[in-house]
Amino acid sequence: MFRSLRINIHDQRPTRAPRRLGGGAILLIAGVAMLHPAESLSAERGPAHAARSLDATTTAHLHLVRAEGSNLFEQGPISGALPGSMQAELTTGVVFTGSFTTHTRGGSIKGHGAATPHGAGRYQSFKGTLVVTSGTGRYAHVSGHAGLYGVFDRRSDSVIVQTTGKLSY
Amino acid sequence: MHRYSGLLAALVLLAGLPSAAHAAPSVKLRVSFIPERLGQSTTLEFGAQISAPNEGVPPPLTELDVRYPASLGLTVGELGLATCSKRRLEALGAASCPADSHIGEGSATAEIPIGPSVIQETARVAILRAPEEEGHLALLFYATGESPVLAQITFPGLLLTAPPPYGARIHISVPLVPSIPDAPDVAVVRLHATLGPLGLTYYEHVRGRLVAFKPRGILLPRKCPRGGFAFSATLAFLDGAETTADTKVPCPVRGGNASLP
Repeated sequence: MFRSLRINIHDQRPTRAPRRLGGGAILLIAGVAMLHPAESLSAERGPAHAARSLDATTTAHLHLVRAEGSNLFEQGPISGALPGSMQAELTTGVVFTGSFTTHTRGGSIKGHGAATPHGAGRYQSFKGTLVVTSGTGRYAHVSGHAGLYGVFDRRSDSVIVQTTGKLSY
Repeated sequence: MHRYSGLLAALVLLAGLPSAAHAAPSVKLRVSFIPERLGQSTTLEFGAQISAPNEGVPPPLTELDVRYPASLGLTVGELGLATCSKRRLEALGAASCPADSHIGEGSATAEIPIGPSVIQETARVAILRAPEEEGHLALLFYATGESPVLAQITFPGLLLTAPPPYGARIHISVPLVPSIPDAPDVAVVRLHATLGPLGLTYYEHVRGRLVAFKPRGILLPRKCPRGGFAFSATLAFLDGAETTADTKVPCPVRGGNASLP
């Protein structure tokens, strides 16, 4: 009854990232960290940087990669402030939980979230929050919370995930 | 005098204890998967045998709480793509509900004490997906008994959180079923149910045509939990007694047999 979400975002934008990024942006940050671990590490150890605000309004269209019991592994493109790609691991249950990584050209963003499903029938909506835990590249210092909404198609196991809110990076 | 006072107090205390403190009915729980293949869709088969401690008729069952492993994909899959309302079910029966709202079936055997003798009655049970109840995934059970007690009973079930190691629990409120005048309510002594695609056919519109399909059921994980799949059931009775039974579905092994690691 739980659904976890893992998202990987690959930044498709130029190196200079926008000041406002969506949930996908968060994922992008995580991706950047993966691409440039040294840079990410030095950023974490370096002097304090000026926090910037990041718009976390994105939409991800995820399709099922594989299912294992109550766990669904999904991936797909992200559109919005920071287009890229997302990978998510969803644990389904009374509450959906999960982790995500988004990858963008500018970096990647990782986090986890929980959402409560509603409705019955083929389409099940869910609403909750996500927490951004780490990032890479331009988003090495990303942190914050964002709203999490979506719809799950029980026939195709596809998920549309929307994130809203602002993060700092 | 003090000794008698103490004895009297003890007797009063004992007399005042609820009946739950007396021997509760015993329950044998049995769960299996059909088919039993890791990583595949399956149907969950559940059985419970209730026995009174004195070999008599157990008190009427009022609540049933079944806990299942977190690794079972009960909400993944296609069971219950439609819903059926309690009003429709009570008015027109399970056959009137959408085919895609049926998620399982089973039976309940009850004992009815009439005078010095006890007679048994087995009711067919349909399990259906219902509209959400206060934010919880909801089920409806529709039991049909014909003889000697003619009854159609609808009662609800909710999918709720459960503490580890369980992933969730199905909580079922069982209504009291009157038997005959001046006789006790019927007492459930045996339950059997399947939850999954076994015996179910769903329908969907594809390019204007109604196409039948077999829904995907409960998805088993690719790896079996250490010790097998743990299930637990707690039953509450009208007299306040409560009893819990645990069981495990052994890990399937190649060749079709099962074993506990």
